[in-house]
Amino acid sequence: MAGIPFGHVLALSGILVALGVACATARRNLIMILLGVEIMLNGASIAFAAAALRWQQLEGQAFVLFIIAIAAAEVSVGLALIVHLYHRTGSLDPEKFNMLK
Amino acid sequence: MTYPAAADLTLTAAIAATALPLAAFAVILLLTRGFPRLSAALSIAAISVALVCAGLLLVRHGHLETPLEYSTLWMAGGDIVVRVGFLIDPLSLLMLMIVAVICFLVQVYSLGYMAGDPGFARYYAFMSLFAWAMMNLTLAASLLQLYIFWELVGLSSYLLIGFWYEKFSASEAGKKAFVMTRLGDVAFFIGILLVLLNFGNLSILELNSPRAGFLPPAVVTVSALLIFGGIVGKSAQFPLLTWLPDAMEGPTPVSALLHSATMVAAGVYLLARLFPFFSMSPAALQVCLAVGAVSMLLSATMAMVSRDIKQVWAYSTISQLGLMIMGLAAGDYVAGVFHLTTHAGFKALLFLCAGVFIHACGGNDMFEIGRRGARHLKIPMICMIIAAAALSGVPPLSGFFSKELILAALAGRPSPIWLAAGLLGAFLTTYYTFRLIFIILFPRGEAQAKDAHADGHNSEAGYRVMAAPLIVLAAVTGVLGFGGHALGRFLLQGFPGPVPGAGHPTWLPFAALGATAAAVGLAWFEFGRRGADQVGFVERVEPLRELFRRRWYIDDAYRWLLDHVLYRVFSAFCAKNDQKVIDGAVDGLGGSMAAAGRILAVLHTGSVQFRLLVVSVVLILLGLYYFVYPLN
Amino acid sequence: MEFSNFPYLTAILLSCVFGLLIILFLPDEKKQAIKQISAVFSGLTLVLSLVVFCTYDTGRAGLQFAERVTWVPSLGISYFNAADGFSLPMILLTGIVFFTGVLTMRELELRVKEFYALYFLLVTGVFGLFMSFDLFFIFIWYDVSLFPMYLLIAVWGSTRKEYGAMKLTLYLLAGSALILPAIIYLHVAAGGTSFDITALMRPGTFSPFQQKLAFLLLFIGFGILAGVWPFHTWSPVGHVAAPTAVSMVHAGVLMKIGAFGVLRVAIFLCPEGWKFWAPLMATLAVIGIVYGALAALSQTDLKFVVGYSSVSHMGIVGLGLSTLTVDGLNGAVFQMFAHGIMTALFFSAIGYIYDRTHTKMIPELGGLSRVMPKASGYFILAALTGIGVPCLASFWGELVVFIAAFKTYPVAGVSAVGALVIGALFMLRVVQRAFYGPMQAKFAHLADIPFHLGIPRMILAAVIVFFGLFPSVLFDVIDSAAVPFMRGLP
Repeated sequence: MAGIPFGHVLALSGILVALGVACATARRNLIMILLGVEIMLNGASIAFAAAALRWQQLEGQAFVLFIIAIAAAEVSVGLALIVHLYHRTGSLDPEKFNMLK
Repeated sequence: MTYPAAADLTLTAAIAATALPLAAFAVILLLTRGFPRLSAALSIAAISVALVCAGLLLVRHGHLETPLEYSTLWMAGGDIVVRVGFLIDPLSLLMLMIVAVICFLVQVYSLGYMAGDPGFARYYAFMSLFAWAMMNLTLAASLLQLYIFWELVGLSSYLLIGFWYEKFSASEAGKKAFVMTRLGDVAFFIGILLVLLNFGNLSILELNSPRAGFLPPAVVTVSALLIFGGIVGKSAQFPLLTWLPDAMEGPTPVSALLHSATMVAAGVYLLARLFPFFSMSPAALQVCLAVGAVSMLLSATMAMVSRDIKQVWAYSTISQLGLMIMGLAAGDYVAGVFHLTTHAGFKALLFLCAGVFIHACGGNDMFEIGRRGARHLKIPMICMIIAAAALSGVPPLSGFFSKELILAALAGRPSPIWLAAGLLGAFLTTYYTFRLIFIILFPRGEAQAKDAHADGHNSEAGYRVMAAPLIVLAAVTGVLGFGGHALGRFLLQGFPGPVPGAGHPTWLPFAALGATAAAVGLAWFEFGRRGADQVGFVERVEPLRELFRRRWYIDDAYRWLLDHVLYRVFSAFCAKNDQKVIDGAVDGLGGSMAAAGRILAVLHTGSVQFRLLVVSVVLILLGLYYFVYPLN
Repeated sequence: MEFSNFPYLTAILLSCVFGLLIILFLPDEKKQAIKQISAVFSGLTLVLSLVVFCTYDTGRAGLQFAERVTWVPSLGISYFNAADGFSLPMILLTGIVFFTGVLTMRELELRVKEFYALYFLLVTGVFGLFMSFDLFFIFIWYDVSLFPMYLLIAVWGSTRKEYGAMKLTLYLLAGSALILPAIIYLHVAAGGTSFDITALMRPGTFSPFQQKLAFLLLFIGFGILAGVWPFHTWSPVGHVAAPTAVSMVHAGVLMKIGAFGVLRVAIFLCPEGWKFWAPLMATLAVIGIVYGALAALSQTDLKFVVGYSSVSHMGIVGLGLSTLTVDGLNGAVFQMFAHGIMTALFFSAIGYIYDRTHTKMIPELGGLSRVMPKASGYFILAALTGIGVPCLASFWGELVVFIAAFKTYPVAGVSAVGALVIGALFMLRVVQRAFYGPMQAKFAHLADIPFHLGIPRMILAAVIVFFGLFPSVLFDVIDSAAVPFMRGLP
């Protein structure tokens, strides 16, 4: 089977996840945190798709579809919350939202 | 119960006599509280019917060889069967009659005495409650039923003593009366349990029957003594005697009815009721005799220094109850019951007369009453002298005959000390009685008002309403003594216990009369004669006077025990233990939990990103672990 | 599925649940409507409980009104409701206290809807527990009746309400944490196929050791709720903090759940453990009786006095349960009923007094009898009941328990009887300080209980007097369960 080696795809997904983690933990903006989470999810999806191809099993692709659907829902809920928070406080800084501490 | 109630006149009368006052109580409390006159009418109507029924029963069963018992199952569960019913025998009929008569007279008297009181309706409600409880106590067929009504008369006593509850001393006295009698009742209750456990039956007839003789003597003695504990409480005997003088805080008619004639006599009635049972234990009777003698003498000494007219009669009540208990304990059933009967009459009369004086003169102090010219109130003054003479045992009044019988019984005891105590008691009784009479009759100092009627005294009609019962009681006191033999015959019908032997030393009546005469003479010398300074020989000795006035420090001992032991030690210990030890331990546990949490909470910064970082780091570490130590 | 004619017990539960739902769907502002709906539905439960009580056949031993629906067959969980002589008085008691509690709170203005919703939820749990014969459901109902309590006290309470609510909840959860393992243990020990009490109580299901272990856990677990000494301190604090109707349910019914749980679960399932631990139960009970009375002597808060008197009176229940006799069980259940009605009346009267005078400290009160003769009268009636005056309900319970205790444990019986004196002392002391004495000017303008607010108190007073005069009505019912139960023991 010709094409991109499995290891490369995994490396790509690993890089994406690492970038997502960095984005989600380092940025001081809720929207960027959400984006970071999305990037992590996409990284995982690529790994799933590649694995499905590698072992010729359909479950991996099913997971990808699942992740896309969940991510869509998550983003919509997350964005709604962020917009609401912005309306209430006028800020998107996660450090400000520590009332549960 | 198989008796058809309507067909049996006796049962109907008994039910009517015992149930109507309860109905009056309920109706007054629930419906007619706002209508004082109607309430009084209801109450008096109920007690009148009860009186008629009591009379009917007495007439119908004038000859009653075997006691009648009606009973019905009230409650059954497991091994416990509670039966209630009526025991009709000469003793209960006699007591029923006494209770009904005195209740009726006192309720009529109260029409005048309590007129205009804001709690008039409430007063009659409580009076009806008392009448109901007392009549049921009298007719109770089993010890448990008797105990139930015993507690209920205690309740009505509490309510009536504290009737003027706005006065601190009145509510305090009510509480004291209830708690002190409760102390005795606990002993009584344990005694009942002991009997129930060993005998399996609480029927009074069964207890008095020879069957109870099969009980071990120790059990009989212990349970008799425990039951006697209840009698000590209720009849205010030593050492539980101090509640009765305080109970005089109640309205005077209440003192006349409850705290002299009927309720406190319930203790003596119980002793008579269980006389055959008590007779099975000579040891218990000996204790009763001693307690009666001590109470009689102690309270007589207290009466000698009191200035409060009601208190004197209260001490005298304790003393006379002690005498009755001595009579019964000495083995003479008739003497004790006879004295109970005569005492009910003349002591109620004494209180009712005192009530008229208090009403007229606005105070309890006997010197003050004398100065205000109480002697001008002819009817009560004459009635009081009659009653006082009866109390002192002056012939031919009722008290003379009954006291004579008791002294005779005491003379029959092997030890002469009891007779000596009885004679000394008679001497002291006469002394303090006539001390009071002379102080009122011959006041020293300026008379403040010629006629007691003048200073704001109630209407003439009220006075007349109060006078009528006095005259009735005085007449009874005058003639009752001659009915002694008839009463004795009546009481001894079908009597299961030992019949006391007749015959006493011929010198006895003279000794008793001599003691009485000497006491009257002494009282005359100190209080009555012209120029006497009205200070008794006891009052001249300061420590003695103080001792008697402080009631031999019995009250102080109780107060000390209550304040310093019960409150300061036990109660405070329990309350503190709850706060400090139990709560402290629990709160400490909670506190240390919280402190531990606070330490761990340092890790919790509240930052979302910090958490995310931690999650990532942990995941990376796990991944490294996976690669470094392959799971295969 | 098994239904004997009309499912009365489920109907009682459903009328609570329907009431709850209707209240939830009413808008907040319709306070009057909410109160009326609550009164109607609680009245309905009272009527249904009365019907059940009256149609119960005392001549027929065993369970009546049984309803069973299998729920989780693999674990043996079923919705199994029934009534016997032990639970019937409790169901009636709950109905009475529920209804009178709703009527007592007619003057509530703060968050009416939430209050009644939680109150209905609480009572649903209580009813369910008294009816259920399934261990699993008993546990569920136990917790259902606990949680609303926290909010009810913390939101509507007074006097250190957060502390009281927290303490109560933690204590009762600790109890629950002992009960759950015991229930699971018994379930597993019996083979893991049944939660049915009637099946598990067959002799020989559990070994003596298992019974002793489970009994101890269950006794302490339920005992905490019953105010057994030394696990009682939540109870006075909770009583004091709770709002009137909640105090009524709390002292009147909730503490009974504890005692009832000891009876229904611990004693029914582990009779060997019962016999083994009975001396311990009796000792704790007597300590509780004396200790509660002594502690009540030095309290200055009306509700604290009643709280400690409850500890003392629940000790009498515990003493009855520990005697291993029919009489003891009879007396204990009767005392549970009488005490429930009595404390409900206590708190109902105190509630009114507190609403008007804004104090429940005894030294600040005084002379109230002149201003509020009716309110004081109800309190005094309750106090007299607590003292054990004959012809008021409590007397019979105490009498029967004392007789039974005297037979089994003479020393304990005598000490318990002796505590009656202390009981009389503290009750009368409170009555004297708070209600007698000269009228105080600051209270002179206050009005006595008006008729419409007097109804719940009248009902409670009437019940006390009725069962005081005719105890056999209740004893016959209890006896019909106690006698077969004791006979069935090995």
